[in-house]
Amino acid sequence: MKAYGTPNSAEPAFAQCRGPREVGYALTFGRGLGSPEPVDLEEAKLVVLIGSHLGENVFTSQITAFSEGLSKGAKLVVVDPRFSTAAGKADWWLPIRPGTDIALLLAWIHVLIGEGLYDKEYLQKYAQGFDQLSAHVKKFTPEWAAAITDLSALQIRETARAMGKAKPAVVVHPGRHVTWYGDDTQRARAMAILTALLGSWGRKGGIFLPTPIPRGGFETPDFPESIKGRADGAGTRYPLASKELGVTNGLVDATISAKPYPIKAWIVYGQNVLQSIPQPKRTLQAIEALDLMVVVDVMPVDQIKYADLVLPEATYLERYDRPTIVDTAKEPFVSVRFPACEPLYESKPGWWIAKQLAVRLGLEAYFPWATPEEHLAGIIEPMEIDAAELRKRGAMKLPGKPYLEDRRPGDDPHFETESGKIELYSDKLKKLGFDPLPKYTPVKPPPKGFLRLIYGRAPVHSFARSQNNEMLHALMPENEVWMQTKVAQNLGLKDGQRVVLENTDGDKSLPIRLKVTEGIRADCAYVVHGFGQRSAMLSRAAGKGASDTDLMSHVQIDPVMGGTGMRVNFVRLLPHLSPI
Amino acid sequence: MVRYAMVTDLRKCVACEACTVACNAEWGVPPGQARTKVQRTPIQGQFPNLMATAYIAQCNHCDRPSCVEVCPVEATFKDANGIVQIKAEVCIACGACVEACPYEARFINSGTEKADKCSFCAPRLEQGEQPACVLTCPAHAKFFGDLEDPKSEVYRKVRLEKARRVETSQITIGPNVYYLGRKEHIELIASLFPPRQK
Repeated sequence: MKAYGTPNSAEPAFAQCRGPREVGYALTFGRGLGSPEPVDLEEAKLVVLIGSHLGENVFTSQITAFSEGLSKGAKLVVVDPRFSTAAGKADWWLPIRPGTDIALLLAWIHVLIGEGLYDKEYLQKYAQGFDQLSAHVKKFTPEWAAAITDLSALQIRETARAMGKAKPAVVVHPGRHVTWYGDDTQRARAMAILTALLGSWGRKGGIFLPTPIPRGGFETPDFPESIKGRADGAGTRYPLASKELGVTNGLVDATISAKPYPIKAWIVYGQNVLQSIPQPKRTLQAIEALDLMVVVDVMPVDQIKYADLVLPEATYLERYDRPTIVDTAKEPFVSVRFPACEPLYESKPGWWIAKQLAVRLGLEAYFPWATPEEHLAGIIEPMEIDAAELRKRGAMKLPGKPYLEDRRPGDDPHFETESGKIELYSDKLKKLGFDPLPKYTPVKPPPKGFLRLIYGRAPVHSFARSQNNEMLHALMPENEVWMQTKVAQNLGLKDGQRVVLENTDGDKSLPIRLKVTEGIRADCAYVVHGFGQRSAMLSRAAGKGASDTDLMSHVQIDPVMGGTGMRVNFVRLLPHLSPI
Repeated sequence: MVRYAMVTDLRKCVACEACTVACNAEWGVPPGQARTKVQRTPIQGQFPNLMATAYIAQCNHCDRPSCVEVCPVEATFKDANGIVQIKAEVCIACGACVEACPYEARFINSGTEKADKCSFCAPRLEQGEQPACVLTCPAHAKFFGDLEDPKSEVYRKVRLEKARRVETSQITIGPNVYYLGRKEHIELIASLFPPRQK
């Protein structure tokens, strides 16, 4: 896309997922976290999950480390309105009122500072802005936060003290999908500040440091400069949005409004725009405005119905992929994927599609390698590893330097902020007109008769990709909607019956089975994401369960980075009347 | 003498069901049926004071297996190494063993139409491999080995870390699948296994 001359590429990994966190931590520590998050879960003495349901969200390497840490006796704090698998393992489960996490974080910071439980030496050495922070949190007592969060002041104090005691071996997990309420960068800032107070950044059992692996490359011509600039608002409307990852919803907006200029074509690759981007009616409106939509996909998901052209991609078992190079592991590694068999039917690997498009457009100079093997050899060239050995083993580790004490003066600076220090107080945010220290802003409560729609992951399925897989479908053919026992009783709804979810704009879901449980707050309804697909070509998954995305008619945009806060939608449950 | 046993660490298990998928793939168990199943206890208590755990249900390869006792054609038997086996060619699929197992670990395989259950991956063991579920588990929550070998992980976990069997006052057939975890979680699991109606 860059070679073709458009700056307009975006992936949901930013504005629907990790963006606020990357920005919030970069503002504080000078760098985002990357993926996987460098969380030292196996060495932690205390793990704090805030809205993260690690376990149901199976991030394999983190599951291994998390489980190891727990079996070694790590304590666990889980902040979640739902009794998740992780909450079942927790020493403290804090079923917080949704949207009030910043109040809890400010109160934790208040206790750590007020009771002198923070890492003074670490802050002295590495941080700036402590006095401003200290003055800022003075009034945010646990009693103040208790009223807002629906937690007890005692619990808030107890958990803060547990963190103080376990420091610096505390993982305050930064989370992954964190675009919730539109104040998400500020919540990430509060989590980063908490991490700094505990002295956990760069420390054993906390957040470890990445060890960059050198990457090789190929000589290519410079990309043509875009005359009109980006259409998605990254760097302009959304000042701190990533220009690398882009703002998907910014492109939807630009396509509908034709501002700053008309967008005539989309090439959709590696994402499912109707499942991953909220406000699907707007997405469809944007698609209507296009002259051309090309979809590259492995599965016949809903979006291909709207495509002018479908380029079927081979599955991961049939293709080479770009090597995965991970700096954010304690021992950084490179892993490679080789085809186990030839692609079936007309499907082609992604690299082949990209290169062939380039060749036909006269852009082959940007793809100066003939085969994926040659590409791989170029990438790993400076790593001093044996290509045959890498191929045999699939992945190879390199030595890492994960902790501050591993670093020598030559490796400095550790903190690539403007001040070169950890910025508890952010001048950069202030200059941009945002709060330099995080504040709690009240969220809109559910209207009468409605519940807040929250959503998450089940370990069996990957996003909306795997619902049609025979084995996985058998384990989880559909999702359920969770509702608290008393609420269901009051409505006369029974466990196992089918209901339809209706949002405040009258959008309705497909019928979904009701799960009546004590394991959720009375003001929330929960579903697993990725269901309610309608494409008849999904022979097993079509028509099963409800799509949370379909019910997201509202978003709250994070003004710092353009992320779509998605937990601002409310639903009511209506009995599904037609017989099954 | 070898005496095989398995230990599941409930503190580590996140109920992801990778074990089920690995097992189904390894042994061609039809989707929808399973030799190894992730189960969840009902949630105990009232919001917000709750307790629940997941656990992995499978054949326990009991010391005194009730399934062996009831099989009318001697298709199921206990091997010298402790593994309870099924001779599929002898099995008449009468379902007596399915009924007799207090752990509900057996089923009639809809593909083979024979009794089926976990075999501790006996054919893999012969090749020197670990059971598929142990190898696949991303949480490294399952351990397998010889309970008589002081160098084995299962020996350590059972003898030294006091992994426990799920037994009740009425179910005392000596299961060889052990669990590590919170006492109250293991007791909760045991409470789910009332004696079966004869």
